[in-house]
Amino acid sequence: MRLELGNIFIKDMQFGEATKVENGVLYINKKELLEAVGGDNRIASIEVDIAKPGEETRIMPVKDVIEPRVKVEGPGGIFPGFISKVDVVGSGKTHVLKGAAVVTAGKIVGFQEGIIDMSGPGAEYTPFSKTNNLVLVCTPVDNLPQHEHEQAVRLIGLKAAAYIGEAGRNVKPDEVKVYETLPLFEGAKKYPDLPKVAYVYMLQTQGLLHDTYVYGVDAKRIVPTLIYPTEVMDGAIVSGNCVSACDKNPTYNHLNNPIIEDLYERHGKDYNFVGVIITNENVTLADKERSSNWTAKLAEYLGLDAVIISEEGFGNPDTDLMMNCKKITAKGIKTVLVTDEYAGRDGASQSLADADKAADAVVTAGNANEIIELPPMKKVIGDLKPADVIAGGFAGSLKPDGSIVAELQVITGATSEIGFNKLSATQF
Amino acid sequence: MVKEIERAGIPVVHICTVVPISLTVGANRIVPAVAIPHPLGNPALSKEDEKALRKQLVLKALKALETEVHGQTVFDK
Repeated sequence: MRLELGNIFIKDMQFGEATKVENGVLYINKKELLEAVGGDNRIASIEVDIAKPGEETRIMPVKDVIEPRVKVEGPGGIFPGFISKVDVVGSGKTHVLKGAAVVTAGKIVGFQEGIIDMSGPGAEYTPFSKTNNLVLVCTPVDNLPQHEHEQAVRLIGLKAAAYIGEAGRNVKPDEVKVYETLPLFEGAKKYPDLPKVAYVYMLQTQGLLHDTYVYGVDAKRIVPTLIYPTEVMDGAIVSGNCVSACDKNPTYNHLNNPIIEDLYERHGKDYNFVGVIITNENVTLADKERSSNWTAKLAEYLGLDAVIISEEGFGNPDTDLMMNCKKITAKGIKTVLVTDEYAGRDGASQSLADADKAADAVVTAGNANEIIELPPMKKVIGDLKPADVIAGGFAGSLKPDGSIVAELQVITGATSEIGFNKLSATQF
Repeated sequence: MVKEIERAGIPVVHICTVVPISLTVGANRIVPAVAIPHPLGNPALSKEDEKALRKQLVLKALKALETEVHGQTVFDK
């Protein structure tokens, strides 16, 4: 499967008469956008705003971040199972509005959504302070059940990203990147001497607003399976998460998974990157056992030499991570884990809820319990009040002047366990 | 908490969903629970069936408390 990603660099975002890309500026017709995303009677109102890098703006509580993309060649369309039909995506050509993002925000859905600061110390901790953000502030009707609220806002975000993505359909990309994965046996024949490496991609599926979707299917209802890496780049995996923002993968991160991109970087040179095994993180022990049995079985079946395993979230998913590691290692396959840490505010506590001696190569994305101070911002898109109740916040987090003292957990994407940020630690 | 109470000489049964974590932490008597969001219940069941499920779990835990163990034991029968 071969995908050409055409990146169109977006330097600025403005409201305008027509939705279009011109000289690196993305213009958005607000009325048309609202027509494209509206119509859900569960949502009372949607307000639209723009937040740009460097502005003194705070967006919160943030539910999802999505990159606008459009399929210009090849089967299917973006976000299969939600926006497009369920055709297999990941081949042909896709255009990306690189530097633009849709951010869904508004009344808190669950209890733990995140913060994006466009400048100041908070901006250093989130990749989404560097994107031009179209923010949709969604207000639900009264007494809407939380899961309905989550679904409605999730769909609005995807619709907005698809609507804006269309503006890139006939624009010549500034840069084209090609990603190709051969069918298993062809790949093995082409690179007979290279070690076979795959990526075990753990998806957050604990339910209660911690969910991830694959081609529209709630991933807690799958058994682990194989997916071409390029399918992910066309939106095959969508976030339904809105909890503990620091280490959940917004849809944007799935589309831009750095582990996949980096594995492609040296594919065919140092190793043969054969593909991706997706698995889940469910809430019963039987599910955890079954899913980790399957990842190990698939890794063996593919004849792998090594895998990279990334976790999403923390706490009981640490057990899924360890089970995957232990069972895959037991097949004689090398493992490297990518996770983050909840090591207490002083960093002195045990980092993960579970451990195993097979986990001897681990990459950390930072300690989510670190206390940070976010100064007041001139403009707030959304609502500051949930600062005391989002995960990482506590009673008194929100100060009278609008500043926030909280754990790093509150920042969207701060300790990304697929490495979509800059935090880590090294031991010498 | 399990370990500190046992250190004081009082036996403890840990009812928990993720048995491997309980084993890592060092509990001696472990009774597997239903699921992480609802360890001692199951919202998919009728009230009557859920009550029976809860009672069965508590009885199993009491039985575990009475059972002499030599090392970490999971009561998953």
